[in-house]
Amino acid sequence: MRLFFLICFVYDSSSRIQFYAWYIRYIDLFFPSVADCSLFSAWRTLATRIEPSDTLDAIELLLGGCGSSDKLDTIDLLLGGHGKTHRDAASVQATHPIPASCGLYYFEVKIVSKGRDGYMGIGLSAHGVNMNRLPGMIGWDKQSYGYHGDDGHSFCSSGTGQPYGPTFTTGDVIGCGVNLVDNTCFYTKNGHHLGTAFRDLPPNLYPTVGLQTPGEVVDANFGQQPFVFDIEDMMNELRSKTRMEIYNFPVPESQGEWQAILSKMVSTYLVHHGYCNTAEAFSQTTDTPFSEDLSSIRNRQRILKLVLAGRMGEAIERTFRLYPGLLENNQNLLFMLKCRQFVEMVNGSDVDVCTRKNCNLSTSPRPCSPVQTSVIQSTKNFNKSKQAVEDVDGPCNRRSTSKPAVERILEFGRELYSLSQRLTVDTTSTATNQKMLEDAFSLLAYSNPWASPVGWQLEPSERENICASLNSAILESNNKPRRPALEVAMAHAQELVRLMSSSGLGSCAFASLVDILDQ
Amino acid sequence: MSYTEKQWFKLLEENDLCRTSMNKLIMNYLVTEGFKEAAEKFQEESGVDPSVDLHSLDERIRIRDAIMSGKVQEATALINQFNPEMLDNDRYLYFHLQQLHLIELIRNNNIEEALAFAQGHLSEQGEEDPSVLCELERTIALLAFEDPVSSPFGDLLAPSHRQKIASEVNAAILKLENQECTAPKISSLLKLILWAQDKLNKKSTKYPKMVDLANATIEDK
Repeated sequence: MRLFFLICFVYDSSSRIQFYAWYIRYIDLFFPSVADCSLFSAWRTLATRIEPSDTLDAIELLLGGCGSSDKLDTIDLLLGGHGKTHRDAASVQATHPIPASCGLYYFEVKIVSKGRDGYMGIGLSAHGVNMNRLPGMIGWDKQSYGYHGDDGHSFCSSGTGQPYGPTFTTGDVIGCGVNLVDNTCFYTKNGHHLGTAFRDLPPNLYPTVGLQTPGEVVDANFGQQPFVFDIEDMMNELRSKTRMEIYNFPVPESQGEWQAILSKMVSTYLVHHGYCNTAEAFSQTTDTPFSEDLSSIRNRQRILKLVLAGRMGEAIERTFRLYPGLLENNQNLLFMLKCRQFVEMVNGSDVDVCTRKNCNLSTSPRPCSPVQTSVIQSTKNFNKSKQAVEDVDGPCNRRSTSKPAVERILEFGRELYSLSQRLTVDTTSTATNQKMLEDAFSLLAYSNPWASPVGWQLEPSERENICASLNSAILESNNKPRRPALEVAMAHAQELVRLMSSSGLGSCAFASLVDILDQ
Repeated sequence: MSYTEKQWFKLLEENDLCRTSMNKLIMNYLVTEGFKEAAEKFQEESGVDPSVDLHSLDERIRIRDAIMSGKVQEATALINQFNPEMLDNDRYLYFHLQQLHLIELIRNNNIEEALAFAQGHLSEQGEEDPSVLCELERTIALLAFEDPVSSPFGDLLAPSHRQKIASEVNAAILKLENQECTAPKISSLLKLILWAQDKLNKKSTKYPKMVDLANATIEDK
């Protein structure tokens, strides 16, 4: 199926060419997927931006579609006009500039017909240049770059070109590539690289195609079809070049010994997250001590493991015992932990500490701690009498929610609510706490909380954030950093690459962390 | 586009990292550098799969262990056993091993043996290559101090120097085994930071820089 959409150039009184863009609207109707394509919409926006005019005449631009089903394969430009002088030329410019962050930009133009004289130009231009010329043929004050078919010359913002490549005519495919790493432009003809045409390109150039004499028709391919030139190969080349540049980047003396930096980062990470056996083995092999004593890491590790297993009651109790003052002074953290405990109770993962002690003969008998909360106290008493009900592990058994368990949860919920009432002093955290409480309580509204809209709270992965917050708070109370150096470095690196992108540094396209880390 | 320290830290704080992928980075380091025991323990504690057979690390580990415990000649023999041409083809690495042997002799106060070794095995290499000569001179200079550890060249006696040579040998072996990347990914991550900061500095973009990698200290200068 081949469909054509006619757009007409019109001359206004100042003899500037404009588009008449009425037919273009059908594209939306017939090719919804194409209408979303950014490159196409670039052309479309340009076309629809201009008001239809009555004085339509002379030169026509044809935008056509050729392809199967709903995919538009090519965008044709057809120029019909007098074509006597340069003033009869017309260029089409995309409405969006080439983003620096793409690293390497490329498009191809197929010459469907050279028309009468084959005065066609393919290239780039800055915003606001005179579109009444072929690309490259612009005054010295504006930036425009083009490769012309009639003489094969390259034009750099001037009326006289430099010998560059072969001429091109009907049937040829001309590609234009912009290397945003070193800001150069090259062309290809029928898949062959013609060498660098322009250097020191300014940022924010627009792909541009210009036609001059009647009957000239070109197809533009912005990647909707496979390119004739092997651009993938060039991409890979740039990617590995950038990778090697990073890989061989010299380390300033001031940073210290490279291997020592790496092992320190690894060691602090292991200690931070409480991987104490690994940290111990690593420290022995590398002969470097770590900054926290082993028993302290083990204590943290036990608490974190309880959180990750959903056994919040035990985790809270142990934190109170091992880090006196921590939760008392950080009521918002305590509230977060207790909200999680509520969720875990609904989940059936938070089995009370005494139950386990009784049936597992746990190794560490719990001392009667004075800081123990009333909630745990009450559930403990409850559990002693209802051990048969509570001696249950995993959510599957809890699905048949028995009445006493619900009572227990409700009782805990009342405690939680009164705790939240006591925390209303700080207004900024109140909203967060309120939301947390509402989400947690909402679980009770559903007979199957796992399938409910608030069921995400029951996912074990939700425990990770809680775990990290508690860990950071414990470490901070011991004057240790909240995050290990390696994680700060990772986040910093990600933001740096993002910043490179917004600063117009093209090489960031080949330096994504995914690229660097998954080589 | 520019950032103050406060805005930047907020960005970093909001950047949610996936724990599993961080753990994979750690595992990659342990496996690449040949820390077998730590890798095994880490697999137990974090559940991250080492993605290679840890037994295949044995050869590299024996060599690393020998270097880390100061048995440089034993390590050299193991390397030659593993690949007889490796040290012949990489004279600089060979020099580093010999230099380390010299350091170990000085550490153990075998002064005469150290001098004899330096004259017999190392001085010729120094004549050929100025950078080798400089390193050699630094090493020999250790002899001039009563307490070499606190001398200006004390860094040569630190465990990190052994670790440096061990990593060089390790990378050379990986290269022979056609492993595409011989440096651990954490190394690439840190190099990426240095490289990106260099590019941004040249564009004179304003943002807080990481000035000390080991402690991840970020400053707004």
